[in-house]
Order: sequence, then structure tokens, then C-alpha cells
Amino acid sequence: MKKTIVPLGPFHPLLEEAEYFKLYVEGETVVDADLRIGYMHRGIEKLSQTKTFDQVAFLVERICGICSTSHPIAYVLAMEDLAGISVPERASYIRTIIAELERLHSHLLWVGLAGHFIGYDTVFMWAWKYREPVLDIFELISGNRNHYAMMKIGGVRRDIKDEDVPKIVSMLDTVATAGELFTGAVMDDPVIHARTKGVGVLTKEDAIAYATVGPTVRGSGIPHDIRRDEPYASYGMVDWKVITYEGGDVFAKAAVRLLEIFESVKIIRQCLDQMRPGPIETEVRAIPRGEGVGHAEAPRGEVFHYVRSDGSSCPVRHKIRAPSYVNIPSFKATCIGESIADAALITAAVDPCYCCTERMAVIDRRSQDVLLPGQELVRMSREKTQRIKAGLGQETPIDKLARTLQKRNV
Amino acid sequence: MSTSAVLAAVKSRLPVRTVEIEERSPSRVYVYVAPEGIVQASRFMFEQCHARLATVSGIDMRSGVELLYHWFCTDDHQFITIKTKVKKPFPKIDSIATFLPAANWIEREIYDLLGVVFTGHPDPRRLILADGWPEGVRPLAREYEGFKE
Repeated sequence: MKKTIVPLGPFHPLLEEAEYFKLYVEGETVVDADLRIGYMHRGIEKLSQTKTFDQVAFLVERICGICSTSHPIAYVLAMEDLAGISVPERASYIRTIIAELERLHSHLLWVGLAGHFIGYDTVFMWAWKYREPVLDIFELISGNRNHYAMMKIGGVRRDIKDEDVPKIVSMLDTVATAGELFTGAVMDDPVIHARTKGVGVLTKEDAIAYATVGPTVRGSGIPHDIRRDEPYASYGMVDWKVITYEGGDVFAKAAVRLLEIFESVKIIRQCLDQMRPGPIETEVRAIPRGEGVGHAEAPRGEVFHYVRSDGSSCPVRHKIRAPSYVNIPSFKATCIGESIADAALITAAVDPCYCCTERMAVIDRRSQDVLLPGQELVRMSREKTQRIKAGLGQETPIDKLARTLQKRNV
Repeated sequence: MSTSAVLAAVKSRLPVRTVEIEERSPSRVYVYVAPEGIVQASRFMFEQCHARLATVSGIDMRSGVELLYHWFCTDDHQFITIKTKVKKPFPKIDSIATFLPAANWIEREIYDLLGVVFTGHPDPRRLILADGWPEGVRPLAREYEGFKE
């Protein structure tokens, strides 16, 4: 059969940033894949060498707009490792709360996108509806919905006011209640099962060989989580569990994210409960010569920072490794043998961190003619869901819940 | 300081000669090895210690490029960083991507940004820099002075 190349990217609605997946397909089956990055390389590691240690925290916050607090956390942990700084207890709790709020909104964002992608716009609307209150809380605490600028070497920049605590708790109640309804419906939905179970399987061996992190590795049943493996902030002081799911397919990764929402809610509640008044930062006078390593569990997995100082006010070297950098290459192991309608969903399952315009086309390998215009993969994916729905001949749990909620005007 | 299982294994069984082992804190250990031993040392970390390669950092030190292989040992909550140094002007080291796909991208990135050649790399194409970027210009090298058309 004739092999065709399907370029997915560099710009694509599912990919928040430019990335290029070249899929080799035979008929409907993906037989090989090639990846290329670097389209949006901003040279942040180089730029970091020209900023003072204090400014770098703001710089790394801008690496990603979704997990914008994970990079500053990993960076300040690296600096605290380098300079031997200890952080006041209240600051640790605030760091944990901010990090978990971020996980809440990031996971809800992903669930929404995945829902849209398989043609479940109900899931998309709901998930994003309940993501809003989380962003409101961020605005309440930090003044910003994104880029909270909360982390600094030695502590945090802002306190959480006592009068804000009831608002945070009520938001957690809303998200937890909605989340339960929602998770139940998604996990039992036969259409979602048909679209995601057994699709894009990442085996344990591949997960280890590609050194994948976050929900991607936990969806393959491997309990790697930096929050437990090297408890930073106050993760060692609260009760929670590492969510893993067997299977390694798209469903397992989705389930990990959905169930982690409840763990995050649990962690934030305990932190708010245990937090006592006190200082929120240690004074840092100078950064000595040396090197430090810091890592933190971002919503997508481990964020790694290495900083070296020569005793001046700027880093001599600052190495950053974001989670998608190790998760995306695992795509090569998961997409081969899958149908092209599932390819973009499999890509989305690792929640690659990206920004969005869209350009893709099916190109005939020999003539290089564009055969299909853009948005084709999204359409194919959504149509596949419609076909499964039609074949089912009955109302799915998600549709049912949507109807009930609509009646009750929730 | 109690010695973890993985550190004990590194001290007694690492199949290459270590120049020095520096225990900065219970969770941060730096092991210095000669560049010739990097493949064996990495294999040992991955296969015997079941450590995960977090990433590799390359640092231009004028006389050579320092390479730091950061291995995270989940069970022992410990970072073991294997340090080595390759000499300039033609820095060169054996690739570990031959047996570890996780090292594939980072070795290509270090070649792009610092010019270290990874011998035996299965796919030594450009990764980060644009296709039109001039050959031999290394943005993270000390002598780099900005982009000239």
C-alpha cells in the first residue's frame, strides 16, 4: 500500500505551541512517526544568564502559561539547595496550595480540550466552567489569573489572607462536587471507553526507557511522583496518595488526571487547616558559589532545574527541563499501529505543552500535493465519536447528566 | 549521613574508576568520572540502579565542556549526578542514546547549543536551532557573541 505523510503541526489547535509530528500512514494506520521541535525556542536558558537570581524567578514563570508556578518552584528549590536556605513553614504551605490550585486548573483545562477533541463539547464546556472559579481564587490571592509571581528564593512573595480562606474552601466544595458528577459520567461512558481504551498504549518498559514523567508515567501504572519521591514544600506534612492507573492507554491517562483533581482538593484543604500564622520568607543576603538541583511535580510531570553560580549576581548556567520534553518523544512508542483518527488524541493524552494556530495537511508523498485541507484530523476524530454514538443506539451517561443538569439549570 | 542502597552500589560496584564522590547532602551526590567511562556508568545507573535520567546539563568551562548526567533514584529519594568533562575545541563523547531513548533529544540539543559531538548517536539531526542557522555557531558557548547575518 502507498505510504502517505501526514504532518501534524507545527501549528495545530491541540498543540499549544509549535511542534511538528510527521506521521507516516498506510491507509488509515500510522506506521511511523518523526518529531521535530525548536520552532518556538526562546533561548530562556541563555537569557537567564543575563538576569539576577531574583529576576530569574519571574523569567522562568513565563516558560509556560498553564503550569506557570511549577518552574519558579523548581527554580527556587534549586537556589535553596545551592545556598542552603531553609524556608519558613507558612511559606511551604502557601507554595503547596498554589501548586495544587495550578494542578486543578490545568487538569480541568486538559479534560475540556480532550472532550472537545473527541467530539464531546459537553465535557469541554463543563470542565472549563469549573476551571473559572479556580482562576478567580488565583486572582484573589495574587491579583492575577495567570503568572502569580508568588515564589521567591527563601519563601513566597504574598501571604494568603485569613479572610480569603472561606472563599477558597467554598471554591473547593464547588469543584469537588462538580468533579464527582463529572468523573462518574466520564468514567462510565461507553463512547469514551470505545475512543480511549486500548488506544495509544504506553507500556511500562517504554515509559521507563523514555523516562516519562507525570500522569503519562502514572497512567502506565508506575507510581513516580516527585511530591512523594522527594517531598518539597509541605507535601510530606499532608495526607494524600499517588494516583496510578494500569493500562497505559489514553483512558488511563485521563483517569489519572481526573482522580488527581480530588487529591489536589484534599491537599489544599489540609494545608489551609494546618497553616499557622508566621513569617513567609527568610532573608537572603547573597548567593554563594556552587550548584543546585531542584525539581517539582508540575501538572504534566517533573520540572527539573539546575543552577550554577560563580558568586556573582547572575547564574553562569541554568538548565531547565520541562515535562513535555521527555513525554512527547514517547509518542513514537504509542502511535505506531494506531488509526490516524486517534493520532491526535494520543498526542493530546500526554498533554503536550504548546500555543495555537493551526496548520496541517495531508500530503501525497510522491507529488507533495496537498490532498486535504486543515482541521481534518479534528473532524475525523469527532466523526469517529459520532459513529460510535450512533451505533450505540442509546443515551450515554454524559448526555444524560447534561440533560438533567440542564433541567435543573445548573 | 547514612548511605542509601543506591549510593552504596555506586561506591562498590560502579564499573568505571571514579575520580571523586562528593556527598553534598543526603539527597544530592556528585560522582566525577572520566569521559571514556560514561556509557558504562550510565548503563549501570539505568540497568542496575533503576534510576531515571532527569536530563543532561552541558556547561562551557572555556577549556572544555562539563557534562552532568542527572540521575534520579526514586526509591532512595536521591539525585546522583555523574559529572565528566570533554576537552575543547572538539568536544566529543560516546552517546548513551544507543541504549536509552530518553537521552536522544537532550544529546541532540547539547550538540546544537554547545557543539559536543555524541559518537554513535542513532539520529544526530538538528533539534533546537532553526534549519537556516549557520553551522558551527553555538549559542551557549562562551565565545558566542550574538547572531550575525
